Amino acid sequence: MATTERPEGRSLGDRVYDMLFHNYVWQSIFRSGYPNTPRNQMLVVATNVFLHLHPTRIHRTHVKITHTYCLGGLSFFLFLGLTITGVLLMFYYVPSVERAYEDILALETDVRFGILMRNMHRWMAHGMVIMVLLHMMRVFYTGAYKPPREFNWVVGVVLLVLTLLLSFTGYLLPWDQLAFWAITVGTNMVGSAPILGEPNRFALIGGFVVGPNALIRFYTLHVIGLPLLAAIFMAVHFWRIRRDGGLARPL
Amino acid sequence: MVATAQETAASPAVRARARRQRDEELLVWPDLVFVEFIAAVVFTLSLTALSILINAPLLDRANAGVTPNPSKAPWYFLNLQELLLHMHPALAGVIVPTVALIALGAIPYFDRSHDGQGEWLATPRAKLNLIIGAVVGAVGTLLLIIWDGSKHVVLWARLTGNDVSDWPTKLNWLRSARALQIHINWPEELLSIPLGEKVLRTDLLGLPRVDLNVNLPALIVEQALPTALMVGLPLLMAFILHRQGIARTKRDHMIAQFSGFIAVFVVLTVIGTAFRGQGMELLWPQDVGMPVS
Ligand code: HEM
Repeated sequence: MATTERPEGRSLGDRVYDMLFHNYVWQSIFRSGYPNTPRNQMLVVATNVFLHLHPTRIHRTHVKITHTYCLGGLSFFLFLGLTITGVLLMFYYVPSVERAYEDILALETDVRFGILMRNMHRWMAHGMVIMVLLHMMRVFYTGAYKPPREFNWVVGVVLLVLTLLLSFTGYLLPWDQLAFWAITVGTNMVGSAPILGEPNRFALIGGFVVGPNALIRFYTLHVIGLPLLAAIFMAVHFWRIRRDGGLARPL
Repeated sequence: MVATAQETAASPAVRARARRQRDEELLVWPDLVFVEFIAAVVFTLSLTALSILINAPLLDRANAGVTPNPSKAPWYFLNLQELLLHMHPALAGVIVPTVALIALGAIPYFDRSHDGQGEWLATPRAKLNLIIGAVVGAVGTLLLIIWDGSKHVVLWARLTGNDVSDWPTKLNWLRSARALQIHINWPEELLSIPLGEKVLRTDLLGLPRVDLNVNLPALIVEQALPTALMVGLPLLMAFILHRQGIARTKRDHMIAQFSGFIAVFVVLTVIGTAFRGQGMELLWPQDVGMPVS
């Protein structure tokens, strides 16, 4: 918006707007102003690193909330939220049998907003399991697994397993009675498999009972191993949605 | 937007179709980005509110010497823990979930038609199959749990004004799955069949003899019967739906089976979470107490 075109009668609002959005620093970050023509709107989606996960156009039925209920998007959103709150929790938490429980206690009492962070991380984790299950149901009932999306459904099943494992490994970290016995019960189930069960259980918890080795293994898987895998599979998942021609449509 | 090369080169009919499709499309900015933004804001606000109102649980410090009663896995595994009460642990803890996940991943390779693609329950009999699958799955699971928990005996006692102990001795084998093993006079030979000596003759290969004695009634109750039910009942449902003309296409069958699976999953999870108290006894939720998770 060239200021020279309207030399007089500019309101205060216009001037503040110009000051905020037409200065050198702002324009070094955002090269163009608000995209208010269809051409610019498509350009912004195609060229912005975050937005370009999307196509530039989308069928009108897919914008209706009741088609997807945003469930896949919310699963991803929760994953991002869990990453942020998780990083903050990592500042305070040491995965040792001596310290883990004390750290959680201290987080709840001594750290400003610590309890809020912990609560958000926990409720988002439960929320993500629920969202992913619901997303799977919506994909099924809209018949969106059909060709050519067979493989993306399989990628989805892998993501479901990774989500459950992420939640399960995080469950041990507070090192309270709830954590300890839930993981004991859970890993005993693994141990009951014929032949391979016991060795697998041993590898998972690094011993015959849940102890320091289990804690460090679960922690490492929880904060780096599984999130990395999940991020890779999500990248494939989103890429495939685009390659498969966007969301499924009736043929 | 300038017409693409493809569009200009295409025949008028194709061009018309492309244009009509265009008319059906919206721009991602602002239409979709706006919806996503609102969803993210609403979700952030409600999660923050929830986190301010309800604290995450934190019990006493972990203590390997004090086993809480009951000890429960996280809620999304309580369906498997529930199965564990009714069958061999290898079956409940590993084989069933593995088979279920593989079957889930294989859905698109069974049903490859385009029927009902991209629209909610768009095939003719979709809703009917969904409802039947879900009801059969839920009711079937509940009945099996009631039977294995001997609650039908309690119900019988309530209805007839008898005491639970008045259940006729002759019908003791009907009390639960385990009763089939305990309350039937199985011939002695079947309680310990020496497979290692009679069938798996590893000694003939110069290997040590395997010590494998099979208790047939236990094998039936813990493995054969649960497997038969878990495989047979869905097949039976598929067969009846097929014969009745309710499930005619693969999509119909998929909807019935998937809905049944989800219903079983939900029922098992709810029972495991809210209806299992001390000693994993089947109780009413008020006697179980608030679940922590
Ligand atoms: C961490 C877990 C997951 C994330 C973050 C995720 C994310 C997404 C997103 C954002 C979409 C776009 C449409 C929508 O929002 O519904 C989508 C579509 C899809 N998802 Fe997922 N998903 C996950 C798990 C799953 C699972 C468990 C399945 C199936 C077993 C699955 C199968 C699919 C398929 C087939 C599509 C294409 C749908 C269509 O064409 O309409 N995803 N996913």
